Amino acid sequence: MHTRFDVPRPGEDPGSKPSLQLHEEARPDISVLFLASERPEGLGHLLRDYVEPLKTLGRSVECVFAVEPWLRPMTDELRRLEDPEVPIKILVAAYTMGETGLVRMATPHCRAPRVLIMSAYHRIEPAALPDLLGALDDADLVTARRWPRRDSWLSRLQGRLFHGAVALLTGTRFQDLGSGVRGVRREVLEELPLYGDYYRFLPVLAVRDGFRVREKDCAQHPLDARARVYQPGVYLRRMLDLLGLYFLVRFTQRPLRFFGLVGSVVSLTGATVLAVVTVQRVGGQGIADRPLLLLGVLLVVLGVQAIALGLVGEIIVHFHAGRHRQYRIAKPESAED
Amino acid sequence: MTDVPELSVIVPVMNEEPNVGPLVEAVRQALPEGAKWELLFVDDGSTDGTVPAIRECARRDARVRLVELARNYGQTAGLQAGFDHARGAVLVSMDGDLQNDPADIPALLAKLDEGFDLVAGYRVKRQDAWLSRKLPSWVANRVIRWITGVSIRDNGCSLKAYRRELIERMSLYSDLHRFIPAVAAATAGARIAELPVRHHPRTRGRSKYGLTRVAKVLSDLLTIKMIRTFRDRPLLLFGTGAFAAALLGVLFAGASAYSIAAFRAGKAEALVLPAAACLWLALSWYLIMLGLVAETALRHARTENPELGPIAHQV
Repeated sequence: MHTRFDVPRPGEDPGSKPSLQLHEEARPDISVLFLASERPEGLGHLLRDYVEPLKTLGRSVECVFAVEPWLRPMTDELRRLEDPEVPIKILVAAYTMGETGLVRMATPHCRAPRVLIMSAYHRIEPAALPDLLGALDDADLVTARRWPRRDSWLSRLQGRLFHGAVALLTGTRFQDLGSGVRGVRREVLEELPLYGDYYRFLPVLAVRDGFRVREKDCAQHPLDARARVYQPGVYLRRMLDLLGLYFLVRFTQRPLRFFGLVGSVVSLTGATVLAVVTVQRVGGQGIADRPLLLLGVLLVVLGVQAIALGLVGEIIVHFHAGRHRQYRIAKPESAED
Repeated sequence: MTDVPELSVIVPVMNEEPNVGPLVEAVRQALPEGAKWELLFVDDGSTDGTVPAIRECARRDARVRLVELARNYGQTAGLQAGFDHARGAVLVSMDGDLQNDPADIPALLAKLDEGFDLVAGYRVKRQDAWLSRKLPSWVANRVIRWITGVSIRDNGCSLKAYRRELIERMSLYSDLHRFIPAVAAATAGARIAELPVRHHPRTRGRSKYGLTRVAKVLSDLLTIKMIRTFRDRPLLLFGTGAFAAALLGVLFAGASAYSIAAFRAGKAEALVLPAAACLWLALSWYLIMLGLVAETALRHARTENPELGPIAHQV
């Protein structure tokens, strides 16, 4: 067993570089990356449950645990485990960074060409993992859909509303982005810029970048069945995530279309109000005591502000266009079917 | 891989399976025997048999190449991918639906040899539906000409010839393929000429254009105008807006002072006009700050990604 601690410094980009030398051993076939960020469960138990089915594949496996600092005591159990077949790395973050940050931190340490990423608690039945990994044969990313579900109707309703909104805003159809269990080819993790809280939306971003993405049904684990009612802040964050995702997917290359549309509607409304006030003034009616005048000016000001922001966005996009291409090549020119 | 060609013909395609073979043959017929050329197809996420058809052509003739995009990204990205992968000193772009005639390529090249950086074809006797294609195109071309100041008759014609020096100075993104002459003039100071080209009715496959592109064209025009006029001095753009807003602020402040002095205004009157003046002045302040942010972004981009300057035209 190989146990390794890796602690990025606070403020350092967690995915930029590994701060310790990596193993110089043969690369495993599969890296299993556990993200310990919430809902702590016994990591040793988790390891046994999820790695055993993978051994049946006849492929070499390594396990990487990416752990938030407040969960560090849980790693003691892992260090006591001995399994000559499965090397283990434990990476403890220096600051709380959420699942996306943990993925970025751990990606350079996952050496296999295929990476299985999952939260460090039971979400799907372990027996589903071999099929999930097998689906990577003709896909770049396979995301687990917990099905059949054991959740309450309230959880399922929330899920449907959320995924309906994602489909509407991004044009992609997924039924369980929240499962968090994903089989990914390494290049997806290396090529897709992950930041903020976008690990949840990795399949959407991967589709947008031209990767082949599949959703695969995996039986939900009984321990995952629960009524999911969150604090209001969580719902607010999800709504902001959706807004950010909508903008990223549709307008990254053309910010003025978004800001210009919003700004035009608002400023044209303001201009109309001001036109009405002006006509009334010409007709002899005083305007100095009309709050309507104030509303008109306010709307024009807000609209111009939105358009101006869009123009700044366009300037930034224009001057970075030389470095960033908006397309991805499916396969090298010489590659045949 | 063949010898490095002198000419690259770039053809972005999507679901044009029946047109691939005839297009390859037409290009072969159009270009003189012994010329070093390549025909570079860029497949933009076709779902029919376009890719196998191109591969079959490439197998028979090594001058035919394929760049396969991972999904459908749109015509601009397809064209940029073609520019990025083309190897010729001169590049020609054209549609893959055979509405452009490869027989016009030699004339474009001859015009380019007169010392131009870009030769744009314009379609004579255009073979398209009047209401859905020709009328919107007529309006758009006039608006584009008026706003960008680049006098091109037919921005929608894909048949164009470029020198590599120009392509190295341009990056296409969003939907800028519609404004290539304006972008070329703005970013590289390109010398541009026009040439009449033939246009055939579509005989195979289906058109991918619709009326929705008119709205996109109009919304992109503001971007083009800004790039052309203010790309090196964004503070001037925002400063001009800020000056106009400040002027309105002063005007409202003056009206407010006059109103209070002349009529001893009541509470509401004392509030509305000064508040409106403050809003205009706040907008002015905001625009100046935004202009400074834009200058910072520009400086940062220029440092990180130094561009080639405009093309020098020796006389």
